[in-house]
Amino acid sequence: MSVETDFLRIQGSVAPWVSGSRTAENRLDMDTSAERLVPAVTALRSLSWGYLSAITGFDSGTAAPSDGHIELLYHFCNGPAVATFRVKVPREDPSVPSIGPLVPSAVMYERELAETMGVKVAGLPKKRQFLSDDWPENVYPLRKDFTMESAAATREVGPAVGSEEAPGTFIIPIGPQHPALKEPGHFELAVDGEIVTHADIRLGYVHRGIEKGAEDRSWVHNIYLMERICGICSHIHATAYVLGVESLSGVAVPPRAQTVRTIFCEMERIHSHLLWLGVAAHQAGFDTLFMYSWRDRETIMDLLEELSGNRVNYSVNLLGGVKYDIDGKAADSVRRGLDFLERRTTHYLKIVTTDESFLRRTRGVGAITFDQANLLGTIGPTARASGVSRDLRVEAPYMAYRDFPVRPVLDSRCDLEARFVVRINELFESYRLIREMLDHMPAGELAVPAPRKVPEGEVISRVEAPRGELFYYIRSTGGVKPDRVKVRTPSLCNWAAVLSVAVGHKLADIPMIMVGIDPCFSCNDRSITLRRRGSAESWSWEDLRAYGISYYAGGGA
Amino acid sequence: MLNDVFVSLFKRPFTERYPYAVKPAPDRLRGKLLWDESKCDGCKLCVRDCPAKAIEIEVVDRAAKKYLYHYRIDRCIYCAQCVESCKEGALTMSNTLYHLASADKAAFTEIYGAKGTGACSEEAAEK
Repeated sequence: MSVETDFLRIQGSVAPWVSGSRTAENRLDMDTSAERLVPAVTALRSLSWGYLSAITGFDSGTAAPSDGHIELLYHFCNGPAVATFRVKVPREDPSVPSIGPLVPSAVMYERELAETMGVKVAGLPKKRQFLSDDWPENVYPLRKDFTMESAAATREVGPAVGSEEAPGTFIIPIGPQHPALKEPGHFELAVDGEIVTHADIRLGYVHRGIEKGAEDRSWVHNIYLMERICGICSHIHATAYVLGVESLSGVAVPPRAQTVRTIFCEMERIHSHLLWLGVAAHQAGFDTLFMYSWRDRETIMDLLEELSGNRVNYSVNLLGGVKYDIDGKAADSVRRGLDFLERRTTHYLKIVTTDESFLRRTRGVGAITFDQANLLGTIGPTARASGVSRDLRVEAPYMAYRDFPVRPVLDSRCDLEARFVVRINELFESYRLIREMLDHMPAGELAVPAPRKVPEGEVISRVEAPRGELFYYIRSTGGVKPDRVKVRTPSLCNWAAVLSVAVGHKLADIPMIMVGIDPCFSCNDRSITLRRRGSAESWSWEDLRAYGISYYAGGGA
Repeated sequence: MLNDVFVSLFKRPFTERYPYAVKPAPDRLRGKLLWDESKCDGCKLCVRDCPAKAIEIEVVDRAAKKYLYHYRIDRCIYCAQCVESCKEGALTMSNTLYHLASADKAAFTEIYGAKGTGACSEEAAEK
């Protein structure tokens, strides 16, 4: 079904709750209000159309605190189409109802809005999710009247660990600092014996304020700021940003530059998937595979260094093009590297599908059914391993993917093994794509000049990062700096699915399930918290052992 | 997999013997920023576009096109945006000067043009 007929269908069914709507290329904007939001979203959900991709908030006010509005944008996506509900709330009393009961994955985004924008969303947990615990009350960094002085104060912090609800349950906290966690994240797993009964997550330990920082930097500076959001998928962040800015300024990037960008995107995907393969194997206790896959990953890292001059932040993008060409000699070494990697990848595919002890950790474990994946808004390889074909390279081709179509990689087995198979098969697809692009590289310029001021307007830029759809919302007021840059990274979408799938699994399977969506996670700690009659105490391993001995000596009273 | 392990037993170690054996860097490696005084016209586009505020240009005599080029090695993120922004081609990034770590803070500020000779070739920068 075409995007236009889809939009007509949506406009028809939400009409009673929408005061005005506009369509532009692949976008449908619908104005609604805080009171009408829930029925409008219900009407959209009843069509079973798309998934909630992001909620953007921006402050249209000036520095005067009582002035202006906060505008909330609920973006629903389906393939190339984006349908947006726009809700304007007064800055003095910005409150909206939660759409969490209709769209479970919305809660994560609503909490982000509440903490960074100060939007009062009814029915959200009080605990913080994104900002640090000692961040002052009623100070909202993404508002325009925010000042650094207002953030200087701190607030009193209560006990860090322990959930508010369900007293009497045994909660195993993991993180935020942990020798095996690659990134700081805090998980609370309520267990009944070995079985997980509830899972919760606390993020934001490395909150760097990049979205706010972007408002204070020029369009050029921001390329490099965005590149530093993630050390693994640095190029795709910069690419999503420059694609958005170029479309706002109406700059036509030469085809050769687009192809070079795409080649880097695919090389980055290879490096990211090989890295994940190693990390996931490590979590399963299969360190041999971890070592070999990381050794082979060096091939692609060396190639990236040869092409761009850097192994991690390639800094290939410019507004209007790219810095580096991929010419004959470099292309040949890429081809040689890919030949080697293809042989190794065939070997790894055989291992993850035949190694008996490894299969016991993956086959039938952590299944996210097709319906769950759809409902919870999973994206990327995690969704594709559940048979949900969400891949922007296929559904909404951008850059050189228009000329070099991607064949979707799907698996309908839904379990961890499927996630391994999907990612490894995507590697083969990337090898094929890069070879094809190198063989048919369009001739021409590498860059065209781009204006320093970007015309007023807003744009949504979506690209397929190694972990799934990466969503950028960029808004310009016509100046030398952006007014708002909203970034929704793929991992945030997939947490909802993981937390709900974790319930009912054995504790020992949790690390594998967590790592299945491609964050980093491990599960072993030396200090646990015991909650009894509402008090929280931290116990060392020795204390716990002594407690256990005396507990059983007393007959388990 | 067992086969892999067995074969690897008879292979050379994969680890590189750095710093005893230094692998040649790729041609495009982005190392220390080098400035050519004879080409610079003092437009300060590099200063404006540097995302890390690593560059400052001090005007000594605008008519004679005499400038001092302050380059902060510790701030530089080696993105090469300045090289792209420079219309005169006065900036390049070295692919040999990349051992830039130092225990001395003074080593992180380079002022090109101050040593009298002005033009900064790789040899001059090495001294």
